[in-house]
Amino acid sequence: MEEKYLICEDSLEGIFTGIYEAYALREGHTHVHMQIGEEENLRLFATYRYIPPDPVKTDKVAQTLKRRLGEHTYHALCRAAASCYRDKGEAVYRTVVDALTAGSGRRVMENLKNPHVARCFELARFTANEAHYETEFIRFQELAAGDSGENRILFSKIGPKNNVVPFVMPHFADRLSIENFMVYDENRKLFGVHPAREAWYLVSAGEDFNLQEFPLSEKEEKYQELFRAFHRTIGIKSRENKKLQRQMCAYRYQDYMTEFAQEGKNEA
Amino acid sequence: MELRIAPQMSVMDKLKILGAAAKYDVSCSSSGSSRRNDGQGIGNTVAAGLCHSFAADGRCISLLKILFTNECIYDCRYCANRCSNDVPRAAFTPDEVCELTMEFYRRNYIEGLFLSSGILYSPDYTMELLCETVHKLRTVHRFQGYIHVKAIPGADPRLIQRAGYLADRMSVNLEMATAEGLRAIAPNKHRKNILKPMRQIQNGITENKNEITLYKHAPHFCEAGQSTQMVIGALPESDYQIMSVAENLYDKFSLKRVYYSAFVNVNEDKDLPTLAGGPPLLREHRLYQADWLLRFYGFKVDELLTEKRPNFNIAIDPKADWAVRHLEKFPVEINRADYQMLLRIPGVGVKSAGRIVAARRFGNLTFEDLKKIGVVLKRALYFITCNGKMMYPTKLEENYIVQSLTYQNQMGRGEKLPFLADGTGYRQLSLFDMDGFDDKRTIAG
Repeated sequence: MEEKYLICEDSLEGIFTGIYEAYALREGHTHVHMQIGEEENLRLFATYRYIPPDPVKTDKVAQTLKRRLGEHTYHALCRAAASCYRDKGEAVYRTVVDALTAGSGRRVMENLKNPHVARCFELARFTANEAHYETEFIRFQELAAGDSGENRILFSKIGPKNNVVPFVMPHFADRLSIENFMVYDENRKLFGVHPAREAWYLVSAGEDFNLQEFPLSEKEEKYQELFRAFHRTIGIKSRENKKLQRQMCAYRYQDYMTEFAQEGKNEA
Repeated sequence: MELRIAPQMSVMDKLKILGAAAKYDVSCSSSGSSRRNDGQGIGNTVAAGLCHSFAADGRCISLLKILFTNECIYDCRYCANRCSNDVPRAAFTPDEVCELTMEFYRRNYIEGLFLSSGILYSPDYTMELLCETVHKLRTVHRFQGYIHVKAIPGADPRLIQRAGYLADRMSVNLEMATAEGLRAIAPNKHRKNILKPMRQIQNGITENKNEITLYKHAPHFCEAGQSTQMVIGALPESDYQIMSVAENLYDKFSLKRVYYSAFVNVNEDKDLPTLAGGPPLLREHRLYQADWLLRFYGFKVDELLTEKRPNFNIAIDPKADWAVRHLEKFPVEINRADYQMLLRIPGVGVKSAGRIVAARRFGNLTFEDLKKIGVVLKRALYFITCNGKMMYPTKLEENYIVQSLTYQNQMGRGEKLPFLADGTGYRQLSLFDMDGFDDKRTIAG
């Protein structure tokens, strides 16, 4: 039989709509594949179909997955769908098939013998790990907009590989519930916005968006200096181990962190 | 009484002095406590803890770790703040500590506060200051993040009780593994005085648990438990002594963590050793590995070490060391062995053992599957079979396996040690006896 490729948009909606359409074909799943975005090399004897993301279908798939697989597995699938790797569409789709059609159900993420599930597990873990690192390494700066009282805004810029902002926001929304804050993902031009004491939301700034440097509040520089000083003094000289430091906190995070920003400049 | 220690000093200078003075306190974890924000102030706590940064020595920075003051009436030989040292002294005010904590926390620099102190005037006076600071932070600033407070040995039990209701974790440092060691090195500290608050905190936690079962909204007492630390390598204690003490602390004092701190001779005290190769980092590392084996892998100290063999083989990790001395239990069949046995295989950790148990319900596992699951095959291959077969034929023989494992380590292809590349600790490995090594290292198959 002819192979069918469903081309989906690179988003949770895209992948979930793709899964909906794959099931709607009613042709079994052996010859149906999912692909994120266009591919350069087209295959012979294969048909390609572009699937536009559809909120209604997405919601149906999401509800079914939550109901049949449980929140835990559902969230793992969402994390895999937020991965930066292009094979995530196929991995998530095949995992859903393994769970719903082959019958591994709620325990699907444990079926690591299935290579697609193993891949999906790996992608989900990468996103989860990166989201975890970002909750640790995000650095907020206080903007000049509100030096005092209710108007103060905290701002943070990050450059993660995976789309982690949606997974990072709930943590800070709870922790800093009384603060206005924003997390900006520079690779996806995506803002997570949290107004004080309200629910958080995402804003996509669009491809052409360029972030302007915001002026910082009066005291911001002082606290940055204090933290840099603390960071320098807390290390034990006779145990110095830059390699271990780098292993625990990779350069790609350090680039966005207050305490490492100055250090780099001094060395250069 | 009023504080009169360099009152004109800037917060920056104080932070530099009192941060540096606190750096030999190892504990920096922010785990064990799980609390949501109540919408009135900032902060919450996460059960697993979060590390917010890493210092140049590669150790994590989770809490704002400071001394309230480095003024001290005691004269402990290993301590940089002992009263006979001529070092700059400083003291924070409670407000300064609160402000630093709040502003650092908002910017996500830290997970909370670690507050310790030198003994100013008396243990009671010092403990009172710590209590006041933490109380202010919790009530005036409504801080709901993590707080770790030191219990000052010798302080009034009521003050310790009060601190316990404000803090997530408390700790009293044991300093030395043996009472004689402590006497020799810290003339003003007594083992009895250290164990007393430790017991008090333990009882407080147990009572509090019962209270909370009865009254859901009862205030929490040291929700994240208590910890302690021991200095390693200042005195000639054996690993067996140190680990036995640790096991006792876990079993009899229900401690959450015991920390081990490689000795650094900060005072160049003539009665303490000068360690030529730097602090004994590799030994410290092995002790931590063994500590994990006690807490998560179901090992007992007596299985790992004995009177006759009181120290770890520094060249391989304690688990592999145990395995090669108990080869009668191996090879283990991955598809059949129970969880406890899986945990004892070198190269299989808590996570991969759990995954193996879950995944083999779907079918027999192969070596390829184990790799995906996260098993470190280069270590595990000597000890396991999949469906009755070993990965490739190897000798099940103590010397052969030890040599293969150490050879991997030597080549930098084996165990990942946290301090190889920068030189520290590596020399200790190359001292290992290498006789008859080369002809055996080729792996059959």
